[in-house]
Amino acid sequence: MADVEMTKADAASESDWVRVTSDDGYSFLVRRKVANASETMRDMLDTAVGNYLEGIERTCPVQQRGIIVEKLLEYMSFKSYYEGLGAKEDVPVQEFMDRIPPELVLELLLAADYQNM
Amino acid sequence: MASAARRGRPKIKPPRRHGPDVSIDKTWADLANNIREIQNHNAPNLSFEENHRFAYNMVLHKQGEMLYRGVNQLPGRSSVPVGNMIRLGQILKYMDRVYAKACRRLNLFLKHIIRPPIKDHLVTAILTQIQFERDGYVVNRSAIKGCVDVFLTLEDANGITVYKRDLEPALLKESQTFYEAEGSKLLQSCDAPEFLRRVEGRFESEDSRTHHYLSRNTAPALRQILQSHLLTAHLNAVISMEASGLDAMIDLNKIQRHGAALSPLHHGSSGGEVINQASSGIEGADGETASKPRPAAGAQTLALALKWVQDVLDLKDLFDKIWREALSCDRELESTLNEAFETFININDRSSEFISLFIDDNLRRGLRGKTDTEVDAVLDKTITVFRYITEKDVFERYYKGHLAKRLLLGRSVSDDAERGMLAKLKVECGYQFTQKLEGMFHDMKLSEDTMKAYRTHLSQTVSPNIDISVIVMTSTFWPMAQASSTCTLPLEMIKTSKSFEQFYLSRHSGRRLTWQPSLGNADVRVAFKAKKHDLNVSTLALVILLLFEDQGPTDFLTYEEIKQATSITDVELQRHLQSLACAKFKILKKHPAGREVDPTDSFSFNADFSSSLQKIKISTISSKVESGEERKETKDRIDEERRHQTEACIVRIMKDRKHMTHNDLVNEVTRQLATRFLPNPLNIKKRIEGLIEREYLERCDDRKSYNYMVGPKLSALDIVYRRSSIGMNETHRMYYHNHFSNCILYLHGNMNF
Repeated sequence: MADVEMTKADAASESDWVRVTSDDGYSFLVRRKVANASETMRDMLDTAVGNYLEGIERTCPVQQRGIIVEKLLEYMSFKSYYEGLGAKEDVPVQEFMDRIPPELVLELLLAADYQNM
Repeated sequence: MASAARRGRPKIKPPRRHGPDVSIDKTWADLANNIREIQNHNAPNLSFEENHRFAYNMVLHKQGEMLYRGVNQLPGRSSVPVGNMIRLGQILKYMDRVYAKACRRLNLFLKHIIRPPIKDHLVTAILTQIQFERDGYVVNRSAIKGCVDVFLTLEDANGITVYKRDLEPALLKESQTFYEAEGSKLLQSCDAPEFLRRVEGRFESEDSRTHHYLSRNTAPALRQILQSHLLTAHLNAVISMEASGLDAMIDLNKIQRHGAALSPLHHGSSGGEVINQASSGIEGADGETASKPRPAAGAQTLALALKWVQDVLDLKDLFDKIWREALSCDRELESTLNEAFETFININDRSSEFISLFIDDNLRRGLRGKTDTEVDAVLDKTITVFRYITEKDVFERYYKGHLAKRLLLGRSVSDDAERGMLAKLKVECGYQFTQKLEGMFHDMKLSEDTMKAYRTHLSQTVSPNIDISVIVMTSTFWPMAQASSTCTLPLEMIKTSKSFEQFYLSRHSGRRLTWQPSLGNADVRVAFKAKKHDLNVSTLALVILLLFEDQGPTDFLTYEEIKQATSITDVELQRHLQSLACAKFKILKKHPAGREVDPTDSFSFNADFSSSLQKIKISTISSKVESGEERKETKDRIDEERRHQTEACIVRIMKDRKHMTHNDLVNEVTRQLATRFLPNPLNIKKRIEGLIEREYLERCDDRKSYNYMVGPKLSALDIVYRRSSIGMNETHRMYYHNHFSNCILYLHGNMNF
């Protein structure tokens, strides 16, 4: 994943990029909008009130393996993408579920609980 | 999952446990330290993830309580700036979500903000707003809803919401005072429908209030207040309001109006009670007015009976309509309405007779020219009224009488309608009830066959001069067996009847035939001066007419002479003479002329009679409705029958149970007989005593219960019991048929003179 140049550090717009890191050294760049799909991440990155270290650095450390973080982010992108669509559109939930390897589900479940999404 | 069964797939790994890498105490110490740092505005130096994980781990390892208390005890929480509070909230979110379910933190809010005097101000404000709205002003509902919602979410230590604790009691108290005053105010200013409409409005507005900005849980309590203080308290007064109360509403048939008005009544069953009391009162009144004037004349009484039943039916229709439209088909109300109808119908001791008369009238005349569905509708309606009668045996007696007349005189409009009615009765009361009635139909059919056979028989032998048609009636089925009024038949007719008797007895040995001339009729061709007419007269009238056969046109026969020659009883003779001499067609001349027949009168043949009709039906002046004496007789007979039935029922029960206490026995007898009539416990007691005397039962030593005596003197008595027992089996019936049946004949003759 390529690094992206940061333009305005303090603007918490939906489209700026944030970094999500796994505990085994992987790092992912996603739009803030995607990160906001997790409440824990949203609080973590909150610069309006919270203003924690992570918010300033725009980096979310997630204490999970890279593969788990990747799946989390995949779901978050999926969620934030389909969230805005009208009720008429079919959300391909089944397709998404097929993409989750069964051997990961329990870890994913815990991670999702921690991420509050 | 199918894929899980496949080999070679990686197993699902149990996730890494988030074991406490460091002790809980250490975690808490770090977290507490960090919280203090946050309060010192050092958040930018802290890692959110770290603190969040601290809280997460504590909650996950069941240390939520410690965390919660700890956070509560940290210093300076009341002076925490908003931003820091939110920051704390973010970190502790997992605790909120999993451990404290949000409400715990709100405690702080509750303790410090919602407290006197703010709380009292708030409550008063809400109440004032509600009061405003009740007075008809528009208020800001969403603002109230906001307040109420806060109250609803906040819970005190016992888990009771502030709403429940503080607002609701005050609200209910306020409402109660308000509606008490409102009730008396409305009572003074409005008439009944208006009152009910306003009350309905109040119910609705309170309903919408609870729906929109109060708690749903308050609705029942509020409704209760409305019911008891606004509605029930004044309902009696409203219902009995002169000129506008329930009486007036129902009398004026204002369904639409009280459709709206009565509906609040169904809010409370107590309301239902009241409406029922009231309505039964009305029915009672209506019923009385319908049955009060009792002119002696038969025709008028008949009309009265028909009118009464029609009134009852109309009333029933009306109440059904009200029930449907205004009371939204409330089951409870329906049953109370039914009870009201039952009492009211049974107040009239002649209701059974009237209903039977009504059916009789419909089956004879009313239904002519109507379609099957219409017929069915009328009969169905009648059945609904019939259902209310408690003395069904009385009805059965009358119905039997009327049916017999219809069958014998061929007056029934349609056989289908008759059978339809019978089927309905059967559905209503079971097969025992209609057994005898069906027997009558069966007899009619048998007689038809017999007559066919007889005619064939006649064609092979010498036939008598008179053409005869006989209906053989099994005496147990037909009602008039006992009232056999005989007469001396003329020779010609005796010959004819003997011929049939011989024929019949040769086919059925061991039967006894009794002729019932009073039930028959005859066609006779009479030569008057102008021309010949075919007269249809009753058999007895024919017997009387035949006396004049040999008389000259100027000869007289006195009443006494006729009586001697025919040996007809006075009552019958008077009736038939009256119908011959005083009715529309005067076949005989009465001297002196007049409407009533006296024993001193004399009669002569009216040779000058003329009419435009060739065929004339001389209908017997008959009393369709019973006279006082007849009624007494019927009553006696019914009482007699009830005695038998009660005894039979007691014996049946005791035979089954062998031993029973007095009360149980009385109850059981009452229960079993209830389908036919309502036995009086006193009478049951008398019957029990009678049975003890006859050694069917014996009183036990405790004086409270009875034993069945096995093998009492089996005699005719037992047979009587079996006979009157409901559900007599086939062998018994055959037995009676062969040995006891009086076969009653009915004459239909054609004669020329």
